[in-house]
Amino acid sequence: MSFFRSIPLVAIIIASVNLVAQEDQKNFTQDVLSHLSGSLESNLQWYNNDPEFLEVDYEDEYLRSNSYLRLDYEFLNNFTAGLQLESYEPMALLNYYKGYEGTDLATYYVNYKNESLDITAGYFYEQFGSGLLLRTYEERQLGWNNALRGGRVIYTPNSYLSATVLYGQMRNAFEISDTNLYGVNTNFDITNAFKIESLSNLSLGLSYVGKQEDFSKNPDFINSPNTPNLISSYAINLDADFGKFYTSMEYTIKGEDVAYQDLGGFLKSVSDQFYKGNALLVDLGYTKKGIGINTTFRRIENMSFFAESDFSNPKQNQFNMLSVNYIPALTKQQDFALGNIYVYQPQARLSISEIAGQAGEIGSQIDAFYTIKKGTALGGKYGTKLTANFSYWALLDAKFSDQEQTYDAEFLKFGKKLFKDFNIEMRKKWSKTWNSIFTFQNGTTNKGVFTGEPVALAKEVDFTIAVAEATYKFGKGKSIRLEAQHLWSESFLVASNIANGNWAGGTIEVNLNRNLSLYVNDIYNYDNYVEDYQIHYYNFGGSYSKGATRIALNYGRQRGGLLCVGGVCRFVPENTGLSLNLTTAF
Amino acid sequence: MKRFIYSFLLIFTIGVHAQEQLPNINLKTLDNETISLRTVSNNHELIVISLWATWCVPCKNELDAINDVYEDWQDETDVALYAISIDDSRTVKRVKPLVNGKDWDFEILLDTNNDLKRALGAATVPLTLVVKNGKIVFRHSGYTPGYEDELFEILQEHS
Repeated sequence: MSFFRSIPLVAIIIASVNLVAQEDQKNFTQDVLSHLSGSLESNLQWYNNDPEFLEVDYEDEYLRSNSYLRLDYEFLNNFTAGLQLESYEPMALLNYYKGYEGTDLATYYVNYKNESLDITAGYFYEQFGSGLLLRTYEERQLGWNNALRGGRVIYTPNSYLSATVLYGQMRNAFEISDTNLYGVNTNFDITNAFKIESLSNLSLGLSYVGKQEDFSKNPDFINSPNTPNLISSYAINLDADFGKFYTSMEYTIKGEDVAYQDLGGFLKSVSDQFYKGNALLVDLGYTKKGIGINTTFRRIENMSFFAESDFSNPKQNQFNMLSVNYIPALTKQQDFALGNIYVYQPQARLSISEIAGQAGEIGSQIDAFYTIKKGTALGGKYGTKLTANFSYWALLDAKFSDQEQTYDAEFLKFGKKLFKDFNIEMRKKWSKTWNSIFTFQNGTTNKGVFTGEPVALAKEVDFTIAVAEATYKFGKGKSIRLEAQHLWSESFLVASNIANGNWAGGTIEVNLNRNLSLYVNDIYNYDNYVEDYQIHYYNFGGSYSKGATRIALNYGRQRGGLLCVGGVCRFVPENTGLSLNLTTAF
Repeated sequence: MKRFIYSFLLIFTIGVHAQEQLPNINLKTLDNETISLRTVSNNHELIVISLWATWCVPCKNELDAINDVYEDWQDETDVALYAISIDDSRTVKRVKPLVNGKDWDFEILLDTNNDLKRALGAATVPLTLVVKNGKIVFRHSGYTPGYEDELFEILQEHS
């Protein structure tokens, strides 16, 4: 649908509302409007050619924008209908999937919901368990939206049973994949069913996902006699909470799916064999007032899962489009600028090679939260809050056969180290006006995780980061925040402008009142191996927010990562220039 | 560019009406029970909803600051605070130990696949709503130190 075909849709809604108003039926108008809600987000960028950067091809479009308009309308008590319009004009922001172009209707749905039934036709978002088999969601900053178009019924007959049945085809920017996806998910709350008072929670979940792909469209499989008609995958999960102790376990088997052979950096799909995958995720925790510990263990083997086989080649699908499942990095999600340089990317896929093969990953992380009580020597007047995190991830120990196109992975044996880190954070309120946070991180990462070379062959790099920040409150909403950070790491040569060596950074943020805040920050890669890349990534700007509206204006150079300013965090892609972000809801 | 201005104008014609109604969304408690947001708002006359995440520093600053004065707030305005985590499955397992480790006293709910975040059009967190008798009477995104005092004044007006 073109822009001009989608605009009338909105216009009709407004026109009808306004027409009625003219007929003095203001109450009716207000009634309609009170059932209509929506939101608008618009991100505009004006890019500059930055002489310090590698030449970027802007395709002569220096002013670009991504905009999203969502409308939801409630009617007849139980119904909701909605749509989302998306606009990438005249082009999408840099580093977005090429399918995002022009203005079009992106999603729409009608939903009926009562006490026991929840029925959706159109586009919907769903997650089974922790998402190891299926998760559809939206993350605009990443250009991510894999909503399914089809139908879904959630039936909850009582307080202990819930069943979801769905069918859909996955959204791929403004297109829809041909692959049919079927899903069934049931949850059984054992504590509620048998009225077990001694347990906070005990529940069991079972899921099924079926994928039906037309392989005849993929040239690699045209002559393959064994392409599976329906790839069936299953998951079981169990949650138990004993009050202070809790645990959850999830085990998934992915049906026989496509895999790749690594021919010296070139990935070729194996056309006559298909490979099963599996995943095990275990959480174990202990928590009571003032203390909390959570440990996570995860083993994933051949778990990348895409709606279409030609999208499962990572060399051809850097945006991960059409990914059906969700395998996040289980490491601490860092919220300061330098903490987002050496971030971990999980290695879920299978590629067969005796030299550079990989079959998945195995590892663990531990989180601990502790409050030192008020009034003690270390706690002081307000208490001291401590957080620690440790993570270790490695390749599965596996043997590959190029000849047979097979592999054999050990169950609980750690292979080559991919990433490890240790984090500690201390938050301390010194007085009514002073507050501070100290963060320390030390880690090691496999270079292949961010350079793209095979992780099985890549070397490691060590890094250490220290961050100190202090906030002073003047009262009446006025405050100032100062932050200094430093990253130590080895200086090495990489093919493109990828972070390395030492970095230093700082931020000054002034909040004039709760609505208005201004900031200046800079991170400086003063020790990059290549002298030309010893660049300042400076930024300054401000934001104004009132009610449901927020406007932010920034100028500067940005590295990709989380940017937290004026009390708000968001992901930003690398660019130089002026940006204007507007969000509002109504 | 014209197209944009056109779209914006369209939006603002209807945008004069702020979203009043709480979306009809189901959330999970830390005990894995499903609870509807409408039920939550029916149970209390005055509630504060704060959308937050374990990885969001300003969110944690806001909730830490409110936690320090929460008892006083409850005494004076009978308010109930629901801190709704938008953590996805990457970080959701951190919610319970973090909440206990920080000794927060308010109710915690989970919006793991971000249904509420989308319905509220919350591009960023934290997002704070004041809800009275099921209607959204105040909305603010972001947190600046000391903002909790202003929020308390708003609660006093509505209690």
